[in-house]
Amino acid sequence: MRHKILTVDDSKTVRMILRKAFRPFDCEIFEAANGVEGIAMAVKAAPDLILLDITMPVMDGVEMLTRIKADPQLKAIPVMMLTAEGGREHVLRIAKLGVRDYIVKPFKEDTLIEKAARIIDLMPVTDGSGRQRSTEDPADILVVEDKPAIIHQIQEGLKHTPWMVHGVASQAEAVELCTRLAPDLVIISLSLPEEAAFALFRKLRTNPKTKFIPVFGLVVKTETSVQNQAQQVGFTLIVTKPIDLPDLEARMAKAMNLDTSLRYFKFEAEFLITSIPENCSTSVLAEIGQYLQPKLTEAVDSGHNKVVFDLHPLRSINLSTIKFLVQAMQACRDLGMNYALIGNLQLIAECKGLEETRYWNFYENLADAKTHLAKAAAVPTPQPVEA
Amino acid sequence: MPTTVPIAEPLIRENIVRAVADVFKTMLGRPVHFQPADAANAAGTPPPSTPTFASRQVVGTVGFLGDANGLIYLYFDETFASQCTGGMLGMDERELAEAGPDAVNDAIGEITNMVVGSFKNGLCDAGFPCKLTIPSILRGSNFSVEPTGSAQRHVFRFDCRGHRIVADVLLKSED
Repeated sequence: MRHKILTVDDSKTVRMILRKAFRPFDCEIFEAANGVEGIAMAVKAAPDLILLDITMPVMDGVEMLTRIKADPQLKAIPVMMLTAEGGREHVLRIAKLGVRDYIVKPFKEDTLIEKAARIIDLMPVTDGSGRQRSTEDPADILVVEDKPAIIHQIQEGLKHTPWMVHGVASQAEAVELCTRLAPDLVIISLSLPEEAAFALFRKLRTNPKTKFIPVFGLVVKTETSVQNQAQQVGFTLIVTKPIDLPDLEARMAKAMNLDTSLRYFKFEAEFLITSIPENCSTSVLAEIGQYLQPKLTEAVDSGHNKVVFDLHPLRSINLSTIKFLVQAMQACRDLGMNYALIGNLQLIAECKGLEETRYWNFYENLADAKTHLAKAAAVPTPQPVEA
Repeated sequence: MPTTVPIAEPLIRENIVRAVADVFKTMLGRPVHFQPADAANAAGTPPPSTPTFASRQVVGTVGFLGDANGLIYLYFDETFASQCTGGMLGMDERELAEAGPDAVNDAIGEITNMVVGSFKNGLCDAGFPCKLTIPSILRGSNFSVEPTGSAQRHVFRFDCRGHRIVADVLLKSED
């Protein structure tokens, strides 16, 4: 749920600072310049938190707070005072009126966010547009590992992605980097000295800015006790060494909730090209399968009724892939779409020798498949294109 | 009407130095260094007791009323005032230009409010409870502010990465 925060301060500067401080979080900010406007806005917006200045013209913060606490409709809204008035007696007097917290200006953004996060759950925003991020968007990955070779291996293994992999060797460096740059995912070596991985994990989980970041633990396969410990404290995933980099990449994309469909589907003019990768495991097929129907529907909606299944990267075909393709081709027929298969010679020969696939027609390249599909578009009844 | 009692100079100095340093460090991430009044300038001349500037200034003013009564003027040169505004609000030069002088006035007013608020809180804790007035802004060059005869004046100079900040503290000395 998107939280609503009402800031009541006569200084536009302070309201802008507050808006900026909450920008990384999924919340809606409402503003008022004095107590009268603040009460009106509180009634209208029903905020989840009010940040209230004290010294304001028209109606000051103390009076607004008193009125809020006397109003049955508003009294449950938590109020945090934010003011330059910080004398001890003053603070005690305000506390008695029922404020949830109190910040004396000047204040650090981190302090404000930390205190606000104790009152409402602050979820980080994923994208300003509301669009789901995809595997083509940049992301910052933090790897905390005291063995440079492992950091290098991960950097090399992910260099084809738009992700920036930042490697650090210690907890202190990781904390410093996290304050500068909220990473999208953190991988921590569970073998850091003095259980630093667990101390760092706790720090990440108590900071509102990093509270929801996926955190992977990295450990050798045989270290089962530390794996269990990491699972118990809540690490998002345990990655074992030696690292299976394609698998790690897929799991990272999933943990970051990225739209991975661009890896498998792309539109080229009036064609939907579906690429089946070389590493065609059951989980990869399931991932492609979850996007297939929406992508076919999107293609039909856009007036495109030609689909190419590109099996070129496959060196061999297994039963799962055959089942997937049978279902995919049926889905095309159900939607009245023309489709074609392309593959390498080795795969084509293998398919000719299998009962289930012996009648599949392949093209050797995309251009041929497109040409034949374009011709087939004139045929009124959709059907598999003959080579 | 509360009786105004003299406030010792060290208490004023300690509080204004702490307040200026706190606000600049917390809100702007900039270190500020107090330059004692007896420190001569590069030419060997002690600084004048009354702040005067040839360049254009943006001056924030906030008063305090209660068991201590007074005003604090915080002087910024115009360029530095813009830099502080941009730093505090996360705005670049183009955005600042679009926002106009009001954004700078509001930001300098708020910085002054925080400095004087922090200074005043120190006085409150030392037994001089008082309240803040609303901030106001003075802009211009070649001007000076003169207190009336009944006011004590304390001028404190600070350096912030080559920019000068002056805090001019005027206290009502007696009823």
